[in-house]
Amino acid sequence: MNIQALIDGRPEAIFGIGYMNPTEVGILCMGLLLVLVLLGVRVVFAAGIVGLVGLVELIGWNGAASAVGQIPFSKSVSFVLGLLPMFILIGFLAFHAGMTRQLFAAARAWIGWVPGGLAVASVFAAAGFAAVSGASVATAAVFSRVAIPEMLAAGYNKRLAAGVVAAAGTLASLIPPSTILVIYAVIVEESVGALLLAGFLPGIFSAVVYAGIIIVWSIMNPDAGPPVRGVSWGERFRSLPGLFPIFAVVVIIVSAVYGGWATPTEAGALGAFVVLVVAWINGLRWPSLKAALMETSKLVVMIFSLIWGVLIFGRFLGFSGLPETFATWILSFDTDPYLILCGILMGYVVLGMFMDAIGLLLLTLPVVYPAVMALNGGPDVTAADSAFGMNGAQASVWFGIIVVKMAEVCLITPPIGLNCFVVNGVRPDIPLSDVFKGITLFFIADALTIVLLIMFPQIITWLPGLMYN
Amino acid sequence: MAGLGTAGTHPGGPSEGGGALGAVSGLLGRLENGLNVVAAVTIFVLMIGTTISIASRISGFPILGYLDISEQAIAIFAFFGAAYAQRLGSHIRMELIIGKLPGRLRWAVEALATFAGLCLVVVLIRYSWEFFLNAYQIGDSTVDIEFPTWPAKLLVPLAFAVWAARLAVETAGYVRLTIWPDAEPVAVPLQLTPAEEAEREIREAGIQQENDAQDQRAGRAQDPGQSQSEGQSAAKGRDGEGRA
Repeated sequence: MNIQALIDGRPEAIFGIGYMNPTEVGILCMGLLLVLVLLGVRVVFAAGIVGLVGLVELIGWNGAASAVGQIPFSKSVSFVLGLLPMFILIGFLAFHAGMTRQLFAAARAWIGWVPGGLAVASVFAAAGFAAVSGASVATAAVFSRVAIPEMLAAGYNKRLAAGVVAAAGTLASLIPPSTILVIYAVIVEESVGALLLAGFLPGIFSAVVYAGIIIVWSIMNPDAGPPVRGVSWGERFRSLPGLFPIFAVVVIIVSAVYGGWATPTEAGALGAFVVLVVAWINGLRWPSLKAALMETSKLVVMIFSLIWGVLIFGRFLGFSGLPETFATWILSFDTDPYLILCGILMGYVVLGMFMDAIGLLLLTLPVVYPAVMALNGGPDVTAADSAFGMNGAQASVWFGIIVVKMAEVCLITPPIGLNCFVVNGVRPDIPLSDVFKGITLFFIADALTIVLLIMFPQIITWLPGLMYN
Repeated sequence: MAGLGTAGTHPGGPSEGGGALGAVSGLLGRLENGLNVVAAVTIFVLMIGTTISIASRISGFPILGYLDISEQAIAIFAFFGAAYAQRLGSHIRMELIIGKLPGRLRWAVEALATFAGLCLVVVLIRYSWEFFLNAYQIGDSTVDIEFPTWPAKLLVPLAFAVWAARLAVETAGYVRLTIWPDAEPVAVPLQLTPAEEAEREIREAGIQQENDAQDQRAGRAQDPGQSQSEGQSAAKGRDGEGRA
């Protein structure tokens, strides 16, 4: 130990630089990060501290501290990230735009006639609202109040009614505007536009799979979910205006990114403006607007902090070479790459039980993402030479959608499954155990969706592919 | 993080008790609120400004330098709210273990975890200041209209200094609880179990009857209990969204 070095402001000299090889430092620091996160250190601090300590060991105090000191500004102040507050603001304003009941009424009028009609209507209405609001948990709370009473009055099985509301909120993360896909894009340095477009079809697809499984189940149990009869066409058309804000936001973002008439950030701002106008017409006034803005700002700073915190850690990982080592290790398994991918996704299932989506993705992606890319054949591989039949950019987008879908499932998994607690809280007459039983059906649907997304990556890559061709 | 959320807080106003600590926390809280208002207003202005800039670009009169300015403005909302979010326990973490620790041990771990954050933020203040100073001295500027970058870079150490102050107060709050585990918590965020978290989400989703009346007044009798209740849900639902 060299105490003089510490006094001189060179703490790295205590053990000496290069005391361990970089990969060892990487593994040790990963372990340290895990311990800190488990102990309840806030993720931004855990990632930042471990990144700083690791960098100090690898490149010395001065290099490490000045690199780390630049990261918050350099990584946050980039035009693309201007998108985040816009998407989040859309979400908060959406609650004021008076949409949920109209949405549910419209969905009921148009698709209520199928077996399990009210449950299917709940899926689409909640999916639409969750997409725009971006708030899974709050969507579950609001729809517990809007949709469950009507389903129970119509004689629906209460497990089905509770399960559908808890599950449909999780569709928030794929259909644009999606904050979490923007975060993925930033962390893996992929095109934000490509990910936003890529999430569109899988999000709809997930909702369709939910609907399909409800319909099949309702055909097998006709008493559990009777269809809605006797809705007139006039009623159907009168219900349409309620859909305007959602369609406006989704169309603005998808068409701007696809058609290139505005950047995603601009489209986000315009979408927020449209929702603001609708909310104002529906009675939003200054006090609520101020509250929405304060909440937006709070959430925005949390996400920015997470991003730069994790990027400090990422900078260290880059120096340690651990991602390459991990990728080499993954490649050394001489088995089917799909099997390895399944193993990785299983890891997400386990972690997802205890962590939320954003934290989970940010902490795992710096190591897991390069490994998955390597598994496919590297970032520059052509579709013909790749393991999953996609070139590097496609695989990157494809993995993003799958992993985000995986992470969202954690909102309905025991023991935490916040959405389920919320449904039980709004409807104390439906015991928590019944909510979790009702969710089982949607686990099956989610598992099916993920398998299909892996087997048919075109569902994900088709739309962004059109944009680039 | 998942489930065991920390939203809601002891805001640390003088009325909270805890004497000097509560008073300091309350004063600091005002500064934090002010900074968060600035961040919130910036977001609003950016939304309106960007909408106008799209319109003017499409009509053939692009606003010179809007891109540069709006990019630099990100620094305001990326950092100003950090201390505010800290006070309200919004920076995500995993509470599965810490939430189950018994009284004194739990407070001691909280104190250490918060102090670790303080150390990181202090290092960041020191070296982001250097980053600012460098930009100031060499006259670093944006590409398009050569707008100087030092004002935005200066915001990082400034905002982080407030954050550090909040972390110091919070550390003190946890140390106090470690010494007197039965004292009323002051200047530390509240902690909730999944069931309590759900209750809070529901309460703040405004799932209550009185909201219906407000909606009826707003002339939307066919749509009872919605806008108002959803508004409040948005307000706090997003806390959950951090974890969602």
